[in-house]
Amino acid sequence: MNKHSMLSEIWRRFRKNRQAVAGLIVLVLFVVVAVFAEQLAPFGYDDQDASRAMIAPCLEFPFGTDNLGRDVLSRLLYGSRYSLSIGFLAVGISVLTGGFLGVIAAYYPKLDNIIMRCMDLFMAIPQMLLAMCIVTALGSSLFNLMLAVGLSSTPKFARVVRASVLATREQEFVEAARAIGAGNWRIILHHILPNSISALIVQATLAMAGAIISASALSFLGFGIQAPMPEWGAMLSAGRKYIRTQAYLTVIPGLAIMVVVYALNVVGDGLRDCLDPRLKK
Amino acid sequence: MAESILEVRNLEIRYVTDEETVCAVNDISFSLEKGESIGLVGETGAGKTTTALGIMGLVPDPPGEIVGGSVLFEGQNLLRMPEKNLREIRGGKISMIFQDPMTSLNPVMTVGEQIAEVVLLHSKMSKGEARKKAMEMLEQVGIPGGRCDDYPHQFSGGMKQRVMIAIALACSPELLIADEPTTALDVTIQAQVLELMRNLKQEYGTSLILITHDLGVVAKICDKVAVVYAGEIIEYGTLKDIYTDKRHPYTIGLFDSLPDIENESAELKVIQGMVPDPSCLPEGCKFHPRCPYAEEGCKHGRMEPVSVSETHMVRCGRFRGGEV
Amino acid sequence: MAEILRVEDLTKYFATKKGTLHAVDGVSFRVEESKTLGIVGESGCGKSTLGRVILHLHERTGGRIIFQGQDISNVTAAQLKELRKDMQIIFQDPYASLNPRMSIGDIIAEPLKIYKLYPSKEERQKKVRETMDVVGLAERTYSLYPHELDGGRRQRVGIARALILNPKLVVCDEPVSALDVSIQAQILNLMMELQRERNLTYLFITHNLSVVKHISDDITVMYLGQMVEKAGASEIFAHQYHPYTKALISAIPQPKYNAPDQQIILKGEITSPINVTRSCRFAPRCVYAKPECFEQEPQLEEVSKDHFVKCHFVREINGL
Repeated sequence: MNKHSMLSEIWRRFRKNRQAVAGLIVLVLFVVVAVFAEQLAPFGYDDQDASRAMIAPCLEFPFGTDNLGRDVLSRLLYGSRYSLSIGFLAVGISVLTGGFLGVIAAYYPKLDNIIMRCMDLFMAIPQMLLAMCIVTALGSSLFNLMLAVGLSSTPKFARVVRASVLATREQEFVEAARAIGAGNWRIILHHILPNSISALIVQATLAMAGAIISASALSFLGFGIQAPMPEWGAMLSAGRKYIRTQAYLTVIPGLAIMVVVYALNVVGDGLRDCLDPRLKK
Repeated sequence: MAESILEVRNLEIRYVTDEETVCAVNDISFSLEKGESIGLVGETGAGKTTTALGIMGLVPDPPGEIVGGSVLFEGQNLLRMPEKNLREIRGGKISMIFQDPMTSLNPVMTVGEQIAEVVLLHSKMSKGEARKKAMEMLEQVGIPGGRCDDYPHQFSGGMKQRVMIAIALACSPELLIADEPTTALDVTIQAQVLELMRNLKQEYGTSLILITHDLGVVAKICDKVAVVYAGEIIEYGTLKDIYTDKRHPYTIGLFDSLPDIENESAELKVIQGMVPDPSCLPEGCKFHPRCPYAEEGCKHGRMEPVSVSETHMVRCGRFRGGEV
Repeated sequence: MAEILRVEDLTKYFATKKGTLHAVDGVSFRVEESKTLGIVGESGCGKSTLGRVILHLHERTGGRIIFQGQDISNVTAAQLKELRKDMQIIFQDPYASLNPRMSIGDIIAEPLKIYKLYPSKEERQKKVRETMDVVGLAERTYSLYPHELDGGRRQRVGIARALILNPKLVVCDEPVSALDVSIQAQILNLMMELQRERNLTYLFITHNLSVVKHISDDITVMYLGQMVEKAGASEIFAHQYHPYTKALISAIPQPKYNAPDQQIILKGEITSPINVTRSCRFAPRCVYAKPECFEQEPQLEEVSKDHFVKCHFVREINGL
């Protein structure tokens, strides 16, 4: 069976899950919006105009305007660039680092204690504090923000992956692979990882939501994304002051985050199911 | 004739999911007299366990569905009984032993508590009396009563199965259903447990349904045998009928495929092919694709049971004309 | 007859929290080429560990393993990789021993990929299909996944994976215990046929005495990590001298009507293999046990030609 037909098989299984397909469509829409934000947005993200501040949603400004008179819709569209890329890249960083450390810890018992105690140490520090330290040390920029958010959730991933690998590595097919002469890396890559992946996928989709939120919190505190860059979390924090009078300023970016996170979760679930040949039929 | 305690008539159970319908039990009928024991023999997926669950009213619904038939226990149809009455019968008058003694005991309760729990559910004893009863039951199955306060992990596999038997017999049931009770045990321990079951059965006069794939175990403990294949009883009779006068090609094949420790033979006789997938059973006789004697007539229609003698029934076209 | 495998005084201890677990304790035997040695015992007797120690899936604690005239007790990783081409294993549980995420074709092809045999994809596929044919797997199963096959066919996949490198010795760890009787017979016949065609040597580990009788040339009975009796297959079923072997063989329920009931029911259960003392390990369950049995460990002695028994009173008990 070649790679192509395997992918089409996975796609065929994925398609059966209607929720996951809907989630995927939503995600693709957001990505398209992020890419074509300049063409789609009716205004610039920083077009201030005090004369039209705090206009509630109407025909001209479907999502209203903020305290500086900026169009919320345009900011939302531009903001999707930052929020999505922070979500994906930060989680990508934690998946790679956490996954690697987790696998090593579980597979080589001698390193287990060292790695996991270090992870415990990191977990003992509040995640936000840790991220702030990282940003401070590296300097504030979009990439460093992602790095900080990603690295600060590494321990969580390491734990999940380690537990899952520990369970998989006791299975007989791993011993069978050793008996036919497979080396450690082959066993890890071909036998253990594919069977531990589902825990990782679920964790990753959940973490993506967390990453968007943490990134916005950091932006709010002045690390990472600086005003006037329209990041969803930053918009959320900025609108907080007006929540009694202009609730739409918080509700709209909040809804955007929620929709993306929900879409990610259903896609993650669907992905986990269709990657497992046992659930085929 | 002794009174019949259990009559299963044309029991039919299906598991229906979106994708497929699994016909687990298609037409199972047998009866059991007081104190008698019957062995349901068959391979994985033959529908033995589903039959037992059907009798207990424990078929998971959904996806399970009892399509037809009746289960008369002491004259009452269990399939039409309200859940509340059923619960009184389960564990009281009918009890069940499962295959895996490792997982069927609750690890955080002492064995004494677990035996007492059943007793308390089904009788009006005080807690103290129930505890005494639990110790009594443990002694009955050959475990010192003092171990009443031990937890399941402190027992070995064989001992756990004894505890399961103690729980099952605590309310002196009329009928005991044992689903592969010794499969998970070593031979020497299996011998101990079988001996125990045989003695207890005599002592309590309990009727027994023994579900197993091991023809040796059946020969040790059962009076009647039903050979199950693809959800149907394909041969049914007394132990003597089945072991000395087997008729159905499947039964014959099953016996022949066992390596015999008394005779030397170079090659085992083999039943060709494999057990059919219960979600798409063949038409006609369910065994015909694997049967060396299959004829055109076997491939269509319904194969009805044929009586070979008063006690012996076989579901095979070769005996249809009455010539035997 | 050429000897292919010899183990001398092989031991494997595991350190546990409660003490040292004597999984394999002083086992010695030799197997000749294209013969089958059956290793019988109940759970916890160390038979599976023995097979895995020989294959270096567990490292031994002491003793020597000689394979094809070479001492393989200590090998480097590279030597071990070469060695594994000649020594393979078939596992008990065909459900657990196949990676659920790999297709049947990939599973069988994996040894070829590891040893970089048949580098071209076409040749490799051809070899896989040939091997599948040998073990009786239909062509269409090539792209299926393990969960889509039944137990018997999964075990055929396990056999194909073990045989694709043309090994000389195959450790069979309960290969038919998880299968239904009618399928068990098919697999046993297949294994015997492959043995004849390819001159395979089997180390057949099982708890099922009737199966081991059927397939083995010699049989070794193990109890708590030690060999208690060893003889030719028909010899041991004709004359059992060790009290444990007697009980073991009598305990098999015979699938016969009115089988004579001469069962010896052992008292108690297997004792713990942790922190054993120097005594006969079977003594606590033995009907013939005398004080001496608890004080001194018996030696394996040749009672009749090629028939070894580890019991102080073997002659007394059997009137020899």
